Amino acid sequence: MRLVWKLLRRHISLPQFAGFFFANLLGMMIVLLSLQFYSDVKPVFSEEDGFIRPDYLILSKRISSLNAIGLGSVSTFSDKEMDELRAQPFAKRVGAFTASQYKVSCSMGISGVAQFGTEMFFESVPDAFVDVDLKKWHFREGDDVVPIILPRTYLAIYNFGFAQSQNLPKISEGIVGMVEMTIAMRGNGRNEYIKGRVIGFSTRLNTILVPESFIRWSNARYAPEADIEPSRIILEVGNPADDAIVNYINEKGYEMEDDKLDAGRMTFFLRLTAGIVMLVGLLISLLSFYILMLSIYLLVEKNTEKMRTLLLIGYSPARVALPYQLLTIGMNAAVLLLAMGGLCLLRSLYMEQLWRVFPKMSDGSILPAVLLGIVLFAIVSIVNAIIIRHRINQIWKN
Amino acid sequence: MNNILLDNTLPQVFLQRTDIRSDIWRKQVTFERGKTYLIEAASGTGKSSLCSFIIGYRKDFDGSIRFDGKDSRGLKTADWVKLRQHHISMLFQELRLFPELTAMENVEIKNSLTHFKLRKEIEGWFEALGIADKMQSPVRLMSFGQQQRVAMIRALVQPFDFLLADEPISHLDEANSRAMADVLTGEARRQGAGIIITSIGKHMELPYDKSFCL
Repeated sequence: MRLVWKLLRRHISLPQFAGFFFANLLGMMIVLLSLQFYSDVKPVFSEEDGFIRPDYLILSKRISSLNAIGLGSVSTFSDKEMDELRAQPFAKRVGAFTASQYKVSCSMGISGVAQFGTEMFFESVPDAFVDVDLKKWHFREGDDVVPIILPRTYLAIYNFGFAQSQNLPKISEGIVGMVEMTIAMRGNGRNEYIKGRVIGFSTRLNTILVPESFIRWSNARYAPEADIEPSRIILEVGNPADDAIVNYINEKGYEMEDDKLDAGRMTFFLRLTAGIVMLVGLLISLLSFYILMLSIYLLVEKNTEKMRTLLLIGYSPARVALPYQLLTIGMNAAVLLLAMGGLCLLRSLYMEQLWRVFPKMSDGSILPAVLLGIVLFAIVSIVNAIIIRHRINQIWKN
Repeated sequence: MNNILLDNTLPQVFLQRTDIRSDIWRKQVTFERGKTYLIEAASGTGKSSLCSFIIGYRKDFDGSIRFDGKDSRGLKTADWVKLRQHHISMLFQELRLFPELTAMENVEIKNSLTHFKLRKEIEGWFEALGIADKMQSPVRLMSFGQQQRVAMIRALVQPFDFLLADEPISHLDEANSRAMADVLTGEARRQGAGIIITSIGKHMELPYDKSFCL
């Protein structure tokens, strides 16, 4: 083997092989890095424990100036539209916001001492969408207390805006639970009162929420005539980063309550960019592979006579092919190892930056990139080996 | 392998010729293990072609060549490799040595296939053929006659049933060709092998069992 190598290493062109080596290294690095970066950053947008958790989306129709003066298309969702939404593959559950259709006002006080009152409204969503403890979340006709959920932002506005400027005490969620509200409902010739109690705060639902059963009962009682098509919809989706959601919503002209779907758009662009970069890397790898194959062909061409002699004195084609096969596999392996090393280095650099921005980000693993690297290495090496062997077989046949 | 049969064999380039008068072409010739043959030929009669056909390097012939009755055209790559490693050794007219290797390395590259000979035996042959001082010299710096002897030694470092020597002594003087004949017959006898020697004039003095005129 040593002697065969001594023979066949003649005419190896160092510049050509160095060209292949660095081109392949570059290509491999780009491919691995783009995959690694994609898999590192993706959880930020779509994973369960990511810092954005947009698995619930709230949709409404766009309010145009025409809507505002009562013209233009309706701003509520029809049953047909709801059904269509339900049929979308990305939609796990769809629920409608139902608003109170009568006048509501509320006055508050602690232990019977009235403090202030305000006009307000109620809305409900199906109970499954409510993100607080549901033990207290029920209402039956005849109950004299209705549970209420407020947006958590209200409390923040009061505590950090209003209370501070008015020298009022800050209140905790627990204290709010003790506040007794007297709710007046007027409509359909009735004027009746019920007690309300705040049982929790929601970060997800930006409205004053009561149980669905209460809304159904009260709308029937105080506004039996009213049209109760929902104007807002809550949607639970499997994968909020799914591009299909953005496309569907844009196509229908719906509006998202906030920019949660930006995550979806960003994931899309992230995937697109990573895909393009990876493609470029693959292209470079492919070209470098081509350089290598040309070099090997040239090398075999220059050493053809020696190889023929080896074959004639009893060497098998497999044994004659082996040195060049080992050479290419060795180079591919070196490229793989260097690319992995480079990947780890670069990754530690950008991960540091990412952690600074998203401290909650999980550590992730480089397994996908390592696997891809090994798969690429295996494919390239096998193809190399086959081509070299094929060339030697041609020499065998003359 | 006990015999090589040339059955109606003819190089395809001779197919058009009608004036072929040969002891081998278009005849049935059997070479047997343990016997010594001389094939005398004028230039251009297909002597090297014959060697190429037998060793499987070329297949452009008519008729057939059989090893123990088995048609050589049916042999697979692996069969040829085995045949070249263990059954037929060949001393090429053009030697086919590797100029960048030393004389010893040229022999070792072959011996490493079967590890048939010990280094000591090989050195003994270098000694016997008068090129012991050239063992570590690159072959390209040696004369053709010296190279011929190296090629001879290389042909001997494998097990074989037949040794095919294509003009082995074309560039050797009397004394050296006698030394070569001794080494060659010594090893062939040890292995019980047949010897087939071709020549275009000067030929090795051996007790030939049969001579052919190609």
